[in-house]
Amino acid sequence: MKILLVEDDAETAGFIRRGLTEAGHVVDHAADGADGLHLAMQASHDVLVVDRMLPRLDGLALVRALRAAGQRTPVLFLTARTGVGDRVEGLEAGADDYLGKPFAFAELMARLNALARRPPMATEATTLQVADLEMDLLRRTVTRAGRRIDLQPREFRLLEYLMRRAGQVVTRTMLLEGVWDFHFDPKTSVVETHVSRLRAKLGEPPLIHTMRGAGYAIRQPG
Amino acid sequence: MPSASPAEQATRWWRTTAFRITLLHLLLTLLGTAALSGIAWWATTGYALRQLAQEVDSDSGLLVQAARLGGPRSVALSVEARLAADRSGTQYYLLAGTAGERLAGNLASAPETPGWASLRLEAAGEAASAELLALGTPLPGGGFLVVARDVAPVRQLESLLLGAAGWVGGGAALLGLLGGLLMGRGVTRRAAAMDAALARVESGEIGHRLPIRPGGDEFDRLARRINAALDRVQGLMQTLRQVTDDIAHDLRTPLTRLRGRLEAALRAGDDTTWRPATEAALRDCEQLLEIFAALLRIAQVEGGARRAGFAPLDLSALAATVAEVYAPAAEERGQRVEADIPPAIAAFGDRELLTQALANLLENAVKHGREGGRIRLALGTDRVLTVEDDGEGIPPREREAVLRRFHRLDAARSRPGAGLGLALVAAVAELHGARLTLGDAGPGLRVELALPPGPAGP
Repeated sequence: MKILLVEDDAETAGFIRRGLTEAGHVVDHAADGADGLHLAMQASHDVLVVDRMLPRLDGLALVRALRAAGQRTPVLFLTARTGVGDRVEGLEAGADDYLGKPFAFAELMARLNALARRPPMATEATTLQVADLEMDLLRRTVTRAGRRIDLQPREFRLLEYLMRRAGQVVTRTMLLEGVWDFHFDPKTSVVETHVSRLRAKLGEPPLIHTMRGAGYAIRQPG
Repeated sequence: MPSASPAEQATRWWRTTAFRITLLHLLLTLLGTAALSGIAWWATTGYALRQLAQEVDSDSGLLVQAARLGGPRSVALSVEARLAADRSGTQYYLLAGTAGERLAGNLASAPETPGWASLRLEAAGEAASAELLALGTPLPGGGFLVVARDVAPVRQLESLLLGAAGWVGGGAALLGLLGGLLMGRGVTRRAAAMDAALARVESGEIGHRLPIRPGGDEFDRLARRINAALDRVQGLMQTLRQVTDDIAHDLRTPLTRLRGRLEAALRAGDDTTWRPATEAALRDCEQLLEIFAALLRIAQVEGGARRAGFAPLDLSALAATVAEVYAPAAEERGQRVEADIPPAIAAFGDRELLTQALANLLENAVKHGREGGRIRLALGTDRVLTVEDDGEGIPPREREAVLRRFHRLDAARSRPGAGLGLALVAAVAELHGARLTLGDAGPGLRVELALPPGPAGP
């Protein structure tokens, strides 16, 4: 992946850059909003990571300018401001995701993967498949090796969220936001219990894998 | 010294409201008295003059009648008789013959012009001259008659009235001054009392309040309002102090633990201890950040800035989602979540905050409820959300305290959690103008969150 990072704090930028490079990505870096916009307009990146508060041109204005110019590269906002109003404002400006500082690197990585590999709207699939697990999105049915599995509506949504990102790591917070629309972090292990129940319902061998310290991923066993 | 300048200004008495009120009061009293006296003077003297003129007119008429019937001789006799009967000496007559000679009367001469005239009588030997109101009439069959009256009684009445007006005016002015002074002094005293009380608040006695009399006039209303504002400021200051204390106190524990862990890892310094120590340190960091996030969120909600995000919402769906999210977690502890939620109950508020508040309540129920017990989440058609568990509950005297930040029951100290959950619920309830009640589920805790209908908020 080719990633543009627009971040003015040198240490944070260095930490993110190192992590992304180690994961095999190419990282361009701009230290202020104006440079960032200039680089972003070249449209050669798969995803943009933009800090909210930047010198010269702030993150919100950068994303607005980008979208006004018809540039659709996915944008992830990084910010120390995590009030709900701030998140809504960021998304309305045209950002695709929002991550509050400080964050775990695994969280950033998972979200960037999800953004970059998001399928275009036009090619919306009607069935999803992982190994012998099949999901029919129109009939709302799930089968494994031809055998029907009964799921509650919310379990269905959880599985759909995972299957749409098959092979990718999906974090706890991504599930909370995407499946339950929870924009806060519950103390109780609600995600863990939901995932383990779903895993049990899907049967052996397990398809949903726990990625230690990162999240979950659904993929072929083995 | 900031308090010096108002005190200085208070000594300049002509700048006080009291002085201005007194002055205005006095001026108005004087004006009123003058106007009243003027009207009385004008009406009374006018009336007296008209009476006098009427008397002259009718007397003159009688004499002309006498001339018509008995000739000049008869008139002369009548005039003599009238003058002889006049004790007051205010009646004057002149009867002139056809050649202008004086036939009778006490006037030496008078202009022979018909109609009303004002004469000045220079009486010989007397110091004062008299002012007369005279009516001249030509007599039928020749001759001329002048009937006159002294206007001195009218003038006396005038001067009497003037004197009375002076007394009344003076008295009124005195009363006005007195009243104004009393009134002004009252105002000055009340203002001074408020000033003194506020000066004490300013000097740091934040708990001091303005005096309020039982009467309840505008000063008391003002004082009550200022006291309410001071209460609010004091409350906010206490909250701020509380938060500062809380942060200092409760964040110190995980920070100390983190520091100890890192030091120990550094001392040991081999690869087998590095990893677990780093992981543990990260967990401590997570916990610290969670506490910060929760505190910030509570502060944000308490600040009231979120009311802009209020919108109509489906309370039933919200409650159902939360119940569903926590059901598996409850089952892990052998608990059963009973959701009693009728469909399509609408409310007005911030969906995210209400979700989090309800989630916090359920989280508490799962955490503090009896293992293998029952958790009930109910929604009434009156928008009352009820969460019940069958755990140990909260003793009545502690119920208010648990709504504060970082408050945890002694029994819960050993369990994880920062004690911020209910504080957020309380803040969200207040933001929504909702009633939050902690009660007894017998056994267990029963929390009720009653949302107001429609758009609401103070």
